[in-house]
Amino acid sequence: MIQPEQLVEDEWAEWYRLTPVQRWLESEKLWQTYLVLGGSLDPEPDTQSPFFDANAPRPRPAHGRASLRVLRRSRV
Amino acid sequence: MGGQACVFYGAAEFSRDTDLAILADAANLARLRKALAELRAESIAVPPFELKYLRKGHAIHFRCQHPEALRMRVDVMSKMRGVDSFAKLWRRRTTIQLPDGSAYELLSLPDLVQAKKTQRDKDWPMIRRLIEANYFENQKRPNKAQIQFWLLELRTPELLIELAKQNGAMCRRLSARRPLLASAASGKKVELERMLTAEESAERKRDQLYWLPLKKELEKLRHPK
Repeated sequence: MIQPEQLVEDEWAEWYRLTPVQRWLESEKLWQTYLVLGGSLDPEPDTQSPFFDANAPRPRPAHGRASLRVLRRSRV
Repeated sequence: MGGQACVFYGAAEFSRDTDLAILADAANLARLRKALAELRAESIAVPPFELKYLRKGHAIHFRCQHPEALRMRVDVMSKMRGVDSFAKLWRRRTTIQLPDGSAYELLSLPDLVQAKKTQRDKDWPMIRRLIEANYFENQKRPNKAQIQFWLLELRTPELLIELAKQNGAMCRRLSARRPLLASAASGKKVELERMLTAEESAERKRDQLYWLPLKKELEKLRHPK
């Protein structure tokens, strides 16, 4: 009989071995940490979704800057 | 029906929206409007929140403005490609109760798997994880319905080969519905992997075709003449 460790990494095997309710509670903890760290509730744009609208306005990050900036680059 | 259901059943998705499958009738919509009003949820995109759009298979998108759910997204759907009617989904639902007493109604695992068969890359590894988790949880004493579900839906070649060898008769019976089961039964892993990829591609193509008219309708709503 194939066991989870034979197919997936240890972290996944451990996740599979939790009960459904344990997984739910673990995800709640992750949520709390994410929100404490200031994580946004805006979903990532999903370009493969049939609902994706390339022209829709996107929320701006709270600090008012783009979340990714080039700080240094070569001339090429 | 979305990310949290995936977490419950064994996949892992950090979904930042809440997806609800609902019964699309006037009375239920009135109740939903009231609940959304309590969350100060505003419709944020087309289509408008109307029965006819839900019944066609569109999703309605909201963003909450209540301080306790600030900016949380809620998406509501009633009809999904390849998924049974709401009445059947409701009969088969999973109800969970957490230690704090709160209860949630989730799509059953087979219905969630059907709902995840979309054109998006991210849904397919999710399906694989969902079924693997269910397999490992129940592999010691599975019932017939579970074995049939796994034979028809597993996306992990090693597990399909193992299962096909243990359940030859059922595998042969189901191979008309899922031809790759013949390769699983004969242990041909490379061929099985190729057929799983082809199966996924065909399903994604069907989803794209299904959405074509709906996407056209969304475009018209976004840019009325």
